[in-house]
Amino acid sequence: MFATDDTIVAIATPPGPGGIGVVRVSGAAAARVAAAILSGPRRLEPRRATLADALDPADRRPLDRVLATYFPGPRSYTGEDVVEISGHGSPVILRRIVEAATAAGARLAEPGEFTFRAFLRGRLDLVQAEAVHDLVTAVTPRQARAAFDQLEGTATAAIGAVEEALFDLVSRLEASLDFPDEGYHFVDSGTAGAEVAGLADEVRRLIASSRRGRLIREGRQVAVAGKPNVGKSSLFNALCGVPRSIVADTAGTTRDLVTETVDVAGIPVTLVDTAGVRATGDAVEAEGVRRARGALDVASAAVVVLDRSRPLDEDDRRLLSETAGRPRLVVVNKRDLPARWTPDERWRAAARDRVVETCLLDDGAAETIRGALAPVLDGETPRRDAPALSNARHVGLLTAAEAALRRGASAAAGGAAEELLLADLAEARRALEEISGKRTPDAVVERIFERFCIGK
Amino acid sequence: MGQRFDVVVVGAGHAGVEAARAAARMGRRVGLCTPSAASVAHMPCNPAIGGTAKGHLVREIDALGGLMGEAIDATGIQFKLLNRGRGPAVRSPRAQADKRRYGAWVADALRREERVAWVFGRVGRLIVRGGAVRGVELESAGGERIEAQAVVVTTGTFLNGLVHVGDRRTPAGRAGEPPSQRLAESLKGLGLPWGRLKTGTPPRLDRGSIDFSRFEEARGDEEPVPFSFLTGRIERPQIVCHRLHTTERVHDVVRAAIDRSPLYNGQIEGIGPRYCPSLEDKVMRFPHHERHQILLEPEGRDAREIYVNGCSMSLPADVQERLVRALPGLERAVMLRPGYAVEYDFVQPTALTRTYETREVKGLFLAGQVNGTSGYEEAAGQGIVAGINAARAAAGADPFVLGRDEAYLGVLADDLTTKGCLEPYRMFTSRAEYRLSLRIDNADLRLTGRGRGVGLVDDRRWERFEGRRSRFEANVERVSEATVNLADGTRARAPRALRRPGTALAELARGAGLRLDVAPGQEQVDLGSVETHFQYAGYLERQKAAMERARRMEDRRIPAGFSYEGLPGLSLEMVERLGAVRPETLGQALRIPGVTPAAVALIGAKAGAR
Repeated sequence: MFATDDTIVAIATPPGPGGIGVVRVSGAAAARVAAAILSGPRRLEPRRATLADALDPADRRPLDRVLATYFPGPRSYTGEDVVEISGHGSPVILRRIVEAATAAGARLAEPGEFTFRAFLRGRLDLVQAEAVHDLVTAVTPRQARAAFDQLEGTATAAIGAVEEALFDLVSRLEASLDFPDEGYHFVDSGTAGAEVAGLADEVRRLIASSRRGRLIREGRQVAVAGKPNVGKSSLFNALCGVPRSIVADTAGTTRDLVTETVDVAGIPVTLVDTAGVRATGDAVEAEGVRRARGALDVASAAVVVLDRSRPLDEDDRRLLSETAGRPRLVVVNKRDLPARWTPDERWRAAARDRVVETCLLDDGAAETIRGALAPVLDGETPRRDAPALSNARHVGLLTAAEAALRRGASAAAGGAAEELLLADLAEARRALEEISGKRTPDAVVERIFERFCIGK
Repeated sequence: MGQRFDVVVVGAGHAGVEAARAAARMGRRVGLCTPSAASVAHMPCNPAIGGTAKGHLVREIDALGGLMGEAIDATGIQFKLLNRGRGPAVRSPRAQADKRRYGAWVADALRREERVAWVFGRVGRLIVRGGAVRGVELESAGGERIEAQAVVVTTGTFLNGLVHVGDRRTPAGRAGEPPSQRLAESLKGLGLPWGRLKTGTPPRLDRGSIDFSRFEEARGDEEPVPFSFLTGRIERPQIVCHRLHTTERVHDVVRAAIDRSPLYNGQIEGIGPRYCPSLEDKVMRFPHHERHQILLEPEGRDAREIYVNGCSMSLPADVQERLVRALPGLERAVMLRPGYAVEYDFVQPTALTRTYETREVKGLFLAGQVNGTSGYEEAAGQGIVAGINAARAAAGADPFVLGRDEAYLGVLADDLTTKGCLEPYRMFTSRAEYRLSLRIDNADLRLTGRGRGVGLVDDRRWERFEGRRSRFEANVERVSEATVNLADGTRARAPRALRRPGTALAELARGAGLRLDVAPGQEQVDLGSVETHFQYAGYLERQKAAMERARRMEDRRIPAGFSYEGLPGLSLEMVERLGAVRPETLGQALRIPGVTPAAVALIGAKAGAR
């Protein structure tokens, strides 16, 4: 569970670059944490914005010139002591300030945790607490995770695979300890160490991939949607500057989700190139379609691509109605070919829709799209307390899991007792389970009986 | 009203005898109700005490001042330390018991307790007034009433027991003894939640009809490791058990008759333990296994009965006989009695607090198999804690609760009362998250002080323990300060040298000329606990940090009458589960399946639990 009596920190402004960004620290140690990460005034005066430098925890060099304001509890957002540090809005710098605060003893806040504390301390009424309801009925940061899960299906699948392999090894080791006289050979202690080292390597690879930016994605997610062969991949390639998806004339060639972060008027935008949305019998393609729908559900805005040179059909209309409620840009493509329809004649755009007619293969197409997309994103208001750092949290947990696995591998290699190896593996499992949100109290015992015939 | 006691214990099985003796030693007058003295501390199933995790429980019961460890040390006929080649935290003693002598030893020990009075008869009803138990009423014609301030019910499988052998069904608590139907009704009338479970036992064979030369011998340890901290060396000669395996022919017999097994034809509804699969289950659920292990265990040094460990079943007697005789070496075996399955009612232990007192009725405690557990050791472990608490309740003293980080006994009470039982509950070392700290070599260091604190540990045990503790402390200090030569010629501090796997303290001390204080016959415990203290230092340190974090949650109490309904943010399912378990602390709430961390944070804030 999350404690309610420690000090937490997170970026409090919406993700993405802006004029300023605020890092909020809340809890009894808020002032102490602030003092540790800021140069300048010894003490912050209550309710007065004070100029200071935020220091890099690694070398104590200034990161950013900031304004810090101290709100002693109970007259603060959460009702606890709160320090708000306003920096210059770069996500990288803000994240570094958060890291400095965690190094100084604060804990990274769970999504919604500031709101949760505000509720606990009576700063929010019941209506406002509705948001808390969602939080409490879900397993900890699941809502935050949903977006992550659906967009990064491969990363969570990889973590899940490590978890499963670890769980299996733990079950066999535990069985060998609890049922020594069954005449069973559950696990070879010589290979257990190697198995654990292999898992540690696997976790390290995951961490590395996240550092490359595959796991951690900040900013806004924009789903690029459209039925097959209307030019989604061309749009994607135009914006990224390099070919990322296979572009071919055969319908259904983009089967996987391809994501890339591009700059749209200074906002980092993660474009998700979805597979062609259409009814299909092909299993692989069906999976692509499933993921595409997931991406559409969680994205904060959509780009719908239509082909002007072919008649508007059922699939197009479904897509338009599915994305109707959200900020979107409708790209009417293939302006170079004879038109079979025009927007106002075959389909009427809603007031908030933005529509561009273009040919995505043209040189200037990218700039046209960027220009049209920026205002769509401007109108969008991300949820407060959004888990901009939840992925950084994942990396932290993966790092802890790897450390525990390495300890276990070296213990096993040194001939230590299984119970010590198991203590390390338990730590690794706890970290991984925190990512997946699973809680498995008696799962090991369950697994043993499922797999082995043991007992008198 | 007839007799009057401070505490009445119903049933004299492994839970009942510990409860009765604990309460008596704590100064209470105890009435121990049992139908007959012949079945005191009876072992209706396997003739053995201990085993992985179970041996830990016995050591802990002993460390608190209980009976079980001394009883098995005094009467056991084959001793073996399980997991000897593994780490100290999972080593666990096990012994073959002489059933008759074990029961007689325990009955004698109770006869020596002047505050324990025997009440021979069956209890038919609990007397409850004003939400508190007042005594019990016997089933006998006169319906004699016995007054008490606290009652401990330890009726095992007797509540509405039903024994199955093939299609023969006999209402019975166990083979040959009638069930307790009236008491079951009386308990149900109190509004406690119920369930039905099943367990089973294998056939018994006649020793004289078996050709033992055909089997592999299974022997105990040369140097028996005792259960009790009071036992010195065990010199008794040890018996031999025999190992054999099932064959395809045996499996064929099972498969051919499977529709006559009450387990497979729908006759049995209760849920059986998966860690103790019946032969039917082994054959049907694991068809890819060519053979299953069987151990032939004598039920006593000169007992006629041989227990066929691994062959628990409920097939008809004629099939059992055919099946046994299909085993090579048992062609002429005579079956003294068939194996059977027994279904029985149990109380869902979520209705209890961790003292084993029911939340519904003040002063009413339940312990043992009636709470859905299986095993003599699990029963005894509940018995002693329930007995201590019944004695304290009778005197108006605070509850006695052991934590999960203190003892397997704490894990047992917490698991039962927090999660309830879906199948008979057995202890495993993997259930203890602080396993590295809960070892047999430090059970006394963990618990004897607690036992002394409640008045259960007598002077003899306490003096012995004080000697042992001061030896431990002195030895730890000496090792801390010592420097030793390593095999590679370098010198190192002794604690560091001990952290290298496979380094034995005795050898290291000998090599370094380090004098350690060891009492005669106590080498195992004296050296073992010091050795592990150093070997595991790093891990224990980390575990201690985790314990302290968890303790903070355990220390935050939720008021008894706290209402979960109407708490914004809790789902209906959570409200229901929290209402059924009524966790005592935030830590316990967090362990209830389906209750999320955020929900617990909310409860913590709203309950003002600090």
